[in-house]
Amino acid sequence: MDQTFLVNVFGSCDRCFKQRALRPVFKKSEQLNYCSLCAEIMAADGLHENETLASLKSEAESLKGKLEEERAKLHDVELHQVAERVEALGQFVMKTRRTLKGHGNKVLCMDWCKDKRRLVSSSQDGKVIVWDSFTTNKEHAVTMPCTWVMACAYAPSGCAIACGGLDNKCSVYPLTFDKNENMAAKKKSVAMHTNYLSACSFTNSDMQILTASGDGTCALWDVESGQLLQSFHGHGADVLCLDLAPSETGNTFVSGGCDKKAMVWDMRSGQCVQAFETHESDINSVRYYPSGDAFASGSDDATCRLYDLRADREVAIYSKESIIFGASSVDFSLSGRLLFAGYNDYTINVWDVLKGSRVSILFGHENRVSTLRVSPDGTAFCSGSWDHTLRLGWAWAAKREL
Amino acid sequence: MSSKVTIGSDIRQARRAVEQLRMEAGIDRMKVSKAAADLLQFCTEQAKSDPFLVGIPATINPFKEKKPCAIL
Repeated sequence: MDQTFLVNVFGSCDRCFKQRALRPVFKKSEQLNYCSLCAEIMAADGLHENETLASLKSEAESLKGKLEEERAKLHDVELHQVAERVEALGQFVMKTRRTLKGHGNKVLCMDWCKDKRRLVSSSQDGKVIVWDSFTTNKEHAVTMPCTWVMACAYAPSGCAIACGGLDNKCSVYPLTFDKNENMAAKKKSVAMHTNYLSACSFTNSDMQILTASGDGTCALWDVESGQLLQSFHGHGADVLCLDLAPSETGNTFVSGGCDKKAMVWDMRSGQCVQAFETHESDINSVRYYPSGDAFASGSDDATCRLYDLRADREVAIYSKESIIFGASSVDFSLSGRLLFAGYNDYTINVWDVLKGSRVSILFGHENRVSTLRVSPDGTAFCSGSWDHTLRLGWAWAAKREL
Repeated sequence: MSSKVTIGSDIRQARRAVEQLRMEAGIDRMKVSKAAADLLQFCTEQAKSDPFLVGIPATINPFKEKKPCAIL
């Protein structure tokens, strides 16, 4: 069943007692519920007792310190130490098995269809192409009215795709096999941001889309009506990526941005529930661990990191002195044991998630790797690059040399 | 008038930041040793169905080009 989320809680405002949409306001340690008008009035009235801008800022600093203390208390061991008892993987030998050619400029994004066979890709020249990865045939192609289509996603039903970029919108195109139908004619504009669209993803159904934007926000939209269902404010700069939690673990998603923060959001309330700020530069990619208890990130600081949500901290860093270019895109293998990461130095590094070591390095792209996804059944991965191509590698031919 | 509005929004922002940090500081946390053990357990259980960890016979690879059949 599809749910439309309520934007706010409705009830009686604690100040004017009118029936309004309410938001929680903390006064000392007490929670009050004000309607948005009263909240604005209270804030514009100025200061609460003994409260100055300076005192609020210093309280924020001391809370940050307390947060770090609480996290540190539980940091009793490193992940790779616990992983010592697990068998080592040995080196993987992987090669590009198939190249998809057809884009006229940098490939910026790609996504797999749930049928594990089709995929959609988008590029700087405005083209969005749907491919059959088994045959390498192009099944659909549409030209967007803007360049730099930075985001694209396949609908869970396989019957539509979503994309957007410098047009600040996310549009949905139904896929049709009728040769006489013009795909662009059925286009539906769903999301409107005030800056570029950096990422988009359907939720569990074709009915809702989650977007991330250069305007610093994420948003949840109803596809049919184009209505904004929830917005997520908190990033201090462009949001570059997002990933939805695996459906079994509930209604949350993680986003990463130019403010170096990764933030985990509750989709129903719009609230940020956890935030992590250990990267030293923009976070280009975030991806949940298959169990939903952790997520990985890739950043311009040339590292990938693993954050455990229940321990509420970073638990692993995947880096090497020889890797100095940013990681643009990350994804896990089916079991979560391997982390595939695409880099701006044209390579893909494959990491042993538990032990923290690199198990493979893939060459083949002739420019930055900009996007990378493992197929839904875990049998293959696809990478897209500024060299205009997408490349496929798959598990069958991967040999392990111990 | 305009400076009051600016101060008002700065304070609002600062208050929101304090409320958010209070909430984040107060969540329940698990020891890394327990969380790591759970990650390990998940990996180990799922390993046998991870195509990149186990070998899969190349014969059933759907990505491979199908060789044309010759009719004898």
